[in-house]
Amino acid sequence: MAALIRGLRAGRALRGLGGVAVQGTRSTQCSNVRRGFHRAALLRLASDSKSDTSVPPPSYHEVHTAGESSSSSAQGESSEDAQPNTSFQDQSGEHSEDYETEEQLQVRILTAALEFVPQHGWNMEAITAGAETLGLSSASTGMFNNGAGDLVLHFVAQCNAQLTETLAEQNNQVQLGQAESKKTGEFLKDAVEMRLRMLVPYIDTWPQAMSILLLPHNIPDSLKHLSTMVDDIWYYAGDRSTDVNWYTRRAALTGIYNTTELVMVQDSSPDFEETWAFLDNRIKDVVNMANTAKQVQATGEAVVQGLMGAAITLKNLTGMNQRR
Amino acid sequence: MQRAAKCALRLDISRAFCPSNVRNCGAVNRVNGSVSCRRYSVLPPPRDEEEKAMLDSMLRVDHAGEYGANRIYAGQMAVLGRTQTGPLIQHMWDQEKMHLERFNEILGEHRVRPTLLLPLWNIAGFALGACTALLGKEGAMACTVAVEESISEHYNSQIRTLMEADPERYTELLQLIKEFRDDEIEHHDTGLEHDAESVPGYLLLKTAIQAGCKAAIYISQRI
Repeated sequence: MAALIRGLRAGRALRGLGGVAVQGTRSTQCSNVRRGFHRAALLRLASDSKSDTSVPPPSYHEVHTAGESSSSSAQGESSEDAQPNTSFQDQSGEHSEDYETEEQLQVRILTAALEFVPQHGWNMEAITAGAETLGLSSASTGMFNNGAGDLVLHFVAQCNAQLTETLAEQNNQVQLGQAESKKTGEFLKDAVEMRLRMLVPYIDTWPQAMSILLLPHNIPDSLKHLSTMVDDIWYYAGDRSTDVNWYTRRAALTGIYNTTELVMVQDSSPDFEETWAFLDNRIKDVVNMANTAKQVQATGEAVVQGLMGAAITLKNLTGMNQRR
Repeated sequence: MQRAAKCALRLDISRAFCPSNVRNCGAVNRVNGSVSCRRYSVLPPPRDEEEKAMLDSMLRVDHAGEYGANRIYAGQMAVLGRTQTGPLIQHMWDQEKMHLERFNEILGEHRVRPTLLLPLWNIAGFALGACTALLGKEGAMACTVAVEESISEHYNSQIRTLMEADPERYTELLQLIKEFRDDEIEHHDTGLEHDAESVPGYLLLKTAIQAGCKAAIYISQRI
């Protein structure tokens, strides 16, 4: 199957740069891996188009070395980089079923690798095992420069995408009037619970994954995933605020999510009941705080109005209240 | 394709029936089901990350600008509200309020992050409005002239950027910005008419305020 794909790819090499399509969906990989990949793909296509189709299709060793040599000669490639990005966009969505981009291949390998995580943990062994189930050689794991980080980030991105899809579906239902809209607190609780339940199959190895996400070179990506997830949840909860509340709400939800995740990792109750109870209490706290803040503001406004009234009365009494 | 046509039709109808200063098209069209063309949408669906980032920062700074202008007029009204210039400032303030409303809608709809420095612009705007109003009516008008000139220059540069990028794609956004720019220029001219230039130290005041506006615009685009 993989050999067939490679053969077809060599045959279509004359399609040139335009043939490499980029998935329209949100990237699930580190951007530098993707860039390295584009360069590798370009080099391979360029070399394919130069040589005749009679040359045997490139093995993944070649891809790997091409990738390495391209990343070491990054300066020379920078002009090439600028162009391929725009051509990818023109071609987006226009990929044939037989032709697979490097990104799609990466996604397939990492998805297959997730099966082996409970057994091997979040590391290159799981990725190797995943690659082998797809019929690829274990050397194909060389394309993952970040190794375990790639795997964890892929998993996080996958879970977030699933969450967003479910929330969008629910939102659609509510819009069409087929479902009741939930109150904010309940909505947040359900969304966070749904997202955390996706960790259940990997809960034993999740502490390792969390520590991988905290590695300095993974922090930008993991923060980005976390902030987009929290933004999505609030968006579907109906938040359209355009003031400081935008920030306070997201900060609060990030805090809730992170602490609940930590509680879940060391929770041993049946079906994580304690975790959901903890989550419930935290959400109630936040909702209470929001209500209290509203009350304080209303009281403050009333007090200010009272003071203004008193001041105007004084001005009237002393005759200072004349139009200039 | 059909959806785009339906959107355009809805847009035309809503324009015909809603007076131009009541932009509640969003509320009117809220019930129509599907996600992609629910209401009069000012922005095209983003084509990639770069475009989204560019539009985000443009809308963010525009929103911050209108918010600041709102607070400046509030400050001016607090001091001069009960004088003869009160109604004039109130009128200009009402137009700014409408602009802010519109941007609030757009930010909410397109999930644009507002600038983190909004509380700062809140205080700074009010203080600027109040302090210049304490210089009298001419001071308030000078402040208006300076700020409106900055804002209209800024809108013009945004219009230029969008026109250079792709005028067809951003038609509605361009229209919106042009309309707001015209309003701001009107405020600027009103300020000049009402003796803005006769405040002592007019040039100094104007330069200082415009420098502040430029700094605010620069920061709000990023933070």
